[in-house]
Amino acid sequence: MHFYSILERKRVRNMMVKYELKRIFTKRMNRLLLAVAVLIGVVMSVFAVTSEWYVDSDGVNHETPDAIRRLTQDKKQWKGELTGDVIAQIVADRQKIARDYPDDVPDTVYGERIQAYSDITQMVDSILGGDEGYAPDALLGITTDQAKDIYSIREQYIEQLIQKYGDTPEKQEFLRTQYEKTDTPFYYEPADSWDNMRLYATTYGIILVVLIGFLAAGIFSDEFSLRADAVFFSCRYSRTRAVRSKVLTGLLMATVIYWVGMALLSGISFAVMGVSGFNTPYQVDSPYCIYNMTFGQLYLIILVCGYIASLLSASVAMLVSAKTHSANIAVCIPFILFCVSPFIGRAMPFGTFFQLTPDQLLNILNCARDPYIYQIGSMVFRQIPFVMLFYTLVAAVFLPVIYQCYRRYGLKRR
Amino acid sequence: MELKIKGLTKDFKDFRAVDHVSCSMGQGVYGLLGVNGAGKTTLMRMICTLLKPTEGSVTWNGKDIFKMDASYRKVLGYLPQDFGFYPDFTVQDYMMYISSIKGLRPMTAKKRTETLLDQVGLRKMKKRKMRNLSGGMQRRVGIAQAMLNDPQILILDEPTAGLDPNERIRFRNLISELAEDRLVLLSTHIVSDVEFIANDILLMKDGKFFMNGTAEEIVSSMDQAVWSCTVPRKEADRYLSKYLVSNVKTVPGGAELRILAKRSPAEGAVMEEATLEDAFLLYFGEKAGEEHDGEV
Repeated sequence: MHFYSILERKRVRNMMVKYELKRIFTKRMNRLLLAVAVLIGVVMSVFAVTSEWYVDSDGVNHETPDAIRRLTQDKKQWKGELTGDVIAQIVADRQKIARDYPDDVPDTVYGERIQAYSDITQMVDSILGGDEGYAPDALLGITTDQAKDIYSIREQYIEQLIQKYGDTPEKQEFLRTQYEKTDTPFYYEPADSWDNMRLYATTYGIILVVLIGFLAAGIFSDEFSLRADAVFFSCRYSRTRAVRSKVLTGLLMATVIYWVGMALLSGISFAVMGVSGFNTPYQVDSPYCIYNMTFGQLYLIILVCGYIASLLSASVAMLVSAKTHSANIAVCIPFILFCVSPFIGRAMPFGTFFQLTPDQLLNILNCARDPYIYQIGSMVFRQIPFVMLFYTLVAAVFLPVIYQCYRRYGLKRR
Repeated sequence: MELKIKGLTKDFKDFRAVDHVSCSMGQGVYGLLGVNGAGKTTLMRMICTLLKPTEGSVTWNGKDIFKMDASYRKVLGYLPQDFGFYPDFTVQDYMMYISSIKGLRPMTAKKRTETLLDQVGLRKMKKRKMRNLSGGMQRRVGIAQAMLNDPQILILDEPTAGLDPNERIRFRNLISELAEDRLVLLSTHIVSDVEFIANDILLMKDGKFFMNGTAEEIVSSMDQAVWSCTVPRKEADRYLSKYLVSNVKTVPGGAELRILAKRSPAEGAVMEEATLEDAFLLYFGEKAGEEHDGEV
């Protein structure tokens, strides 16, 4: 009997959620926006797959969708551990080319030799740049022995970075531990598709998060804007299960739209570009990164952070609309949080505060590069795990508040 | 089956919309009659748990409706005056959505939707979007949704507002059909809506009940008679300012007036049978003159 009752409850709840979702997706404006979002996803995929170029051994430049696969194939000759000897060999070859062609390197030489190890020369230049970052052509000024010792040079710079960013012993210890986790020599496999997709996933994530905020804003305000509140709140479960179903609908809608959107973008792009380099450490691109992760893992973190931002956007929009009964205000808040706040952050003096604002969830691309660490008592933590955990909790905490806010409607005595 | 209202009061900041209202209702149709702004909608919203009273209580079979919460709303059906809906939903989707909030199981909801749409004559329209229905059809969907849970208490706030005469007659008949075995509280400012179907009529003014009874009892409570007389057209304005005039009809040679007055207002005036509409005018009508019963 009890089992039967639970089953019936589930059926009723599913029906509520089904019609709540239907309400969202039958609105013309919402359908139009979703169609636009899908179209943007497809267009961005096309941009992603055509944004790389490949120069063949005849010096001919190719910008066709298969360019990235040909480029990856070419770079794969250097796949494996980037030992001191490998790096010295590449540096020597690059220095020879510079000597042979002091003014301008011919396209044939670029296509035949430089292109294949361009990621590695870029890594060496970045190591040599230290905290200043990428130092173009810095490798032209080092000796073979220095090239062989490139990881020692990196360690020296790391020590400087620890002193610079670790203003307490705890922070220094923390940074040292993080850097020690990264294995050297680095393993290399061309990761152009992952590298490329970081930017597109970030940009598309912003679009989806704003869209989700827009759609979620109507869930709790439609009753008021359409004057359907009286019928709604006079129904049996209007202040209990129906509110929970609305919250569930918002989360479900955010989840489905975000992951379907990202699956569309990633699916099209990786199907064309391939997935080579998933296990390449991110340090190949950013040698002083304090996050011990691969290109593939970074991409997944970008997606997960985007998802957290989507949930936050949905819950903020639902909370504001439940409180104000206005979709217009509710739409503005996620937009301000995720799109306007970065610009305010750049103009304002409170740098540390703006490193932890919700927009950072959609800025993982840059967060991964900077060694931002924080300390509370003896606990030291990094920016990305903090924003992930904190905003997941914030989104979760908002849910019961939305529930209470909406179910109390009309119950003030005055 | 007893809905009891005791000392019910609702204040909105400095304005008192409902002022210590008390009554008891059982099975049957109750007409809540009053001019716009009398407090009818506020009272109904409190009965539907949409507003919490500032003072007083509403009980259903002895239990406070706000404490009963969902179990009270289980037996409640409500059609608000301003019936809002989801315009992009089809009629069927709308009914199914409301069914879900009312806690009906999907199969039951489907059957009830079919039955009720049949009853309100909208079965063929079930696939039509709500936005594409006429005003009358929308109100019919409104009453159908209120009936979804087969409520013991049916609250209808101005259900005939904006309907054409045919729709209003149809609506009245429908309400009469639905009134069996339940309590129907019907608010209106259109006298004919309640005259024929309400067992009991509650007159509301300035947030208070000031009279209740059957249509006959309310008519017989009038302290003035109804007179019919024909006066020259140029005199009509004077009568209008002096008396409560429930009807003016232009006839050859003058204007035929229906006047409420204690004594004959004019020579040759004929006493008529009073109706509920006359009582409504007497109790709610605005009068320009200072005296009710002056002589011309």
